Amino acid sequence: MIALLVTGALILLAALGAPLFALIAAIALYGFHASGQPGTAVAIEFYRLADMPALIAIPLFTLAGYLLAESQAPRRLVRLTNALFGWLPGGLAIVSICACALFTAFTGATGVTLVALGAVLYPALRQSHYGERFSLGLLTSSGSLGLLLVPSMPLILYGVVAQQFHTTPPISIEGLFWAGLLPCLLMIVVLSLYSMWHARGLPRPPPSSAGEVWAAFKDAIWELPLPFLILIGIFSGRLAASEAAAATALYVLIVTVLIRREIKLVELPRVIREAMLLVGAILIVLGFSLALTNWLIDADVPESLFAWLQSGIASKLGFLLALNAFLLVFGMLLEGFPAIIILVPLVLPIALHYGVNPTHLGIIFLANLQIGIFLPPAGMNLFIASARFGKPATSIIRACLPFYAILLACVLIITYWPELSLALAR
Amino acid sequence: MNDAPRGALQRAAQSLQRIEEWLLAILVLVLVALAGAQIILRNFFDTGLAWADPALRVLVVWTAMLGALAAVRDDKHIAIDVLQRFLPPRAQRVARAVAFGFAALICAAMAWFTLGLVGIDYGDATSGAAKTIAGMPAWLLECILPVGFALMALRFALRSFAPPAHVPELLHDPGVSSP
Repeated sequence: MIALLVTGALILLAALGAPLFALIAAIALYGFHASGQPGTAVAIEFYRLADMPALIAIPLFTLAGYLLAESQAPRRLVRLTNALFGWLPGGLAIVSICACALFTAFTGATGVTLVALGAVLYPALRQSHYGERFSLGLLTSSGSLGLLLVPSMPLILYGVVAQQFHTTPPISIEGLFWAGLLPCLLMIVVLSLYSMWHARGLPRPPPSSAGEVWAAFKDAIWELPLPFLILIGIFSGRLAASEAAAATALYVLIVTVLIRREIKLVELPRVIREAMLLVGAILIVLGFSLALTNWLIDADVPESLFAWLQSGIASKLGFLLALNAFLLVFGMLLEGFPAIIILVPLVLPIALHYGVNPTHLGIIFLANLQIGIFLPPAGMNLFIASARFGKPATSIIRACLPFYAILLACVLIITYWPELSLALAR
Repeated sequence: MNDAPRGALQRAAQSLQRIEEWLLAILVLVLVALAGAQIILRNFFDTGLAWADPALRVLVVWTAMLGALAAVRDDKHIAIDVLQRFLPPRAQRVARAVAFGFAALICAAMAWFTLGLVGIDYGDATSGAAKTIAGMPAWLLECILPVGFALMALRFALRSFAPPAHVPELLHDPGVSSP
């Protein structure tokens, strides 16, 4: 009876817009209390945040991403990719897709990509005679592209949360980085093909002169080493994810503040604050969900969920299909990060029972969340895009329709073809 | 309403905000520098600072707590705010007051419970079984939890009566020029 009242009250509070961490903390406090443990036990679980070495990567990569977003790096990235690929059919659309994917991989914040790159790319697309509807749909859907691309912060977050479960086969963050490569490439290629087909009637700009390519190259000379620093560092096994993050943050800090001086020293605290706001908002949810997870496992919640599910869904295939639908809805409601933090502890043990590889599960998670983020009616990026481009959310949704179809098809391929994710991860 | 104490209060709040901002910036810069130094030491000199790794992990918690505190001020905590968008303005105000009041209560409770955690480790320290990180006693480093949660409780309580914050996603927003 009391449990029912508490549940009702929490659902009401959630609907009124109470912060997620407070809701999770309330459940954890209530659960610990009900099983006779003091509130200090929740505090001790929360402080396990200080026992997770891989977490260091999150503030560092986020800082690097925000510094890049606040500098002129988005403009230079677009200039360089445009000089290289702009002459292809659908060239500028492909530039948009690649630039967005690269940028989100760095910031992990899809909304920031939409804002920072949307400002540069939308006018450029319109000037090159791409339709308004196509441009809006392309940018809104590309904003979340790159969640699967190394060194994406949500991928690290999945690794950190999933590692708590000591699965067999074990999960490594480097393994997740490898696993994300081909699925992300699949989405980039399919979106690019669609763009080429869409732009087949548009006038094509002439190939950039060698001079412009060289100038764009020189312009971006300080940013260019970054992807290689990260890729070589991580994939050679020389740097752990957290070390690659530290190297990236240090490098970006020196370049944007000391060498290029695009962020003034006096502005630095404010940019740092912007980045840490996101980090704080995510890690506080993570801290309380550590406590909640502990209680859920003690109370055998995943096991009873599995028993209940198994009575309805016998096959792995059926489970994955249900998972896709479930993740799309929660990805829409919760944005990407909290969905990972809250759902992985529930879903991972069940998925293991159904024989899903935990690394593949991570890729399925993020691929679904990537669509959920701009899915109507509540996907966050719809509202960000609406504010960014000054169009009503309904027009944005209509513009996104073909892109939902394309990306959903990709997600189904990613889900039912584990080898695509696991081929490189082994 | 007397203006003088109100002005003083506002100034106090503003200087507190500035301290918070600078503390956060300094901690993050230390985090970057220390993590960077570790890599250089490990890769080029085959050595490393033994205290640096636990210190880095504690720094992450400090920056997370200060970041979470800053997020209260900008209304940037993650919430399911679908319903709020569709409520009439008056109902929105009530919803904010209830939702943030609840968050303030939870933060106040957590300030109390984390104070308990600090108390346990302080007790260990005085009985000689001290844990130290980078030469500092563990209980001192844990103090960010009760302090952070208490300030968050206070700020949530204040925010529950304030109008929503509209903060842009980026500081240097170039804006979209029409084609």
